[in-house]
Amino acid sequence: MARKANGLEMEGTVVECLRNATFTVELQNGHQVLAHISGKIRKNHIRILPFDRVLVELSPYDLSRGRILFRYRN
Amino acid sequence: MSTVTVTRAAEDRWEAAADDGTVVGRGDVSRRPDGRLFLSVDVWQDAAFDRLAAAMLAELPAPLHTLVGDEDHDRRSSWERLGFTVGRRERAYDLPTDPRVTGLGAVPLPAGVAILPAGEADESRLRALDRAIREEVGATVGWHTMPAELVPGPPGDTVVDPSKYAVAVRGGTPSGAGGDGGAAGGDGGAYVGLVRVVRVRRRARVGLIAVRADERRRGTGRALLAHALNTLARDGVSTAWAEVDASNTAALSLVEGAGARRAGACLELVRP
Repeated sequence: MARKANGLEMEGTVVECLRNATFTVELQNGHQVLAHISGKIRKNHIRILPFDRVLVELSPYDLSRGRILFRYRN
Repeated sequence: MSTVTVTRAAEDRWEAAADDGTVVGRGDVSRRPDGRLFLSVDVWQDAAFDRLAAAMLAELPAPLHTLVGDEDHDRRSSWERLGFTVGRRERAYDLPTDPRVTGLGAVPLPAGVAILPAGEADESRLRALDRAIREEVGATVGWHTMPAELVPGPPGDTVVDPSKYAVAVRGGTPSGAGGDGGAAGGDGGAYVGLVRVVRVRRRARVGLIAVRADERRRGTGRALLAHALNTLARDGVSTAWAEVDASNTAALSLVEGAGARRAGACLELVRP
């Protein structure tokens, strides 16, 4: 599914599942961020797993943190 | 701290912006097929949460629902300050499929019951079974405690993809046998239980196991779970997952007895 990039949104790959619905995500630029799932992801019972490609919105206040907005199908 | 301004960006979306225009939060609302409204709020500033949520609550009709992680105490407190209370608690489980781990490799079927593998059930009878079970549930433990299905379908029809369902049949003609039970002939017998499994890439979700009220406590649910997990194991899928209502002791016992591991929990909050 095509998604419009918006502001501080970047694609990445989940490398580790941590506690409390938090994940380490490696962005396309090689940086790793700590990301939690968005409310919409939780609301739709979407399961995030290691190696999933995801769209992450980075915090405007801390670029090492983010929120997973979308999980790509492949 | 800067001022936060909340605007309704779309019918189902609100945004909170700092005074420099930076979007510091978003709120969404969606209606599930059962008619319930579910909110979500994501913010980068705590102050933005209260402003966003307050704006949404002022514009949306009650009752409203939301989901939070069981360990997310801060967010839960934020919602509770706004009048939300816990409506139900749901546990997430990882289910191994290896019969050596689950102990479900040689589960005997209840006498007279056979299982139709996924995709082989008669569609109209499957839909009738699904409707009958849901009416029974609604009449016993209360429909409002049931989780809503997420994928919308035609009104009154909750079977979105019949090919995902295996069905327990009483009085069907067995045409095979094995650790997951015999396969039933397609025509004879009464449909008494079902299991829905959706495969998502290398894993699978056991979305629903349900048995007719007068057929419970005979091992049909366990046989359906065994059939689902053994089929996945044979196809090379090593793990499945499922969500279980924490008040459903029979379901908790079923999955935990099959070696399921807790993988978190979720609270459904409601504001009447």
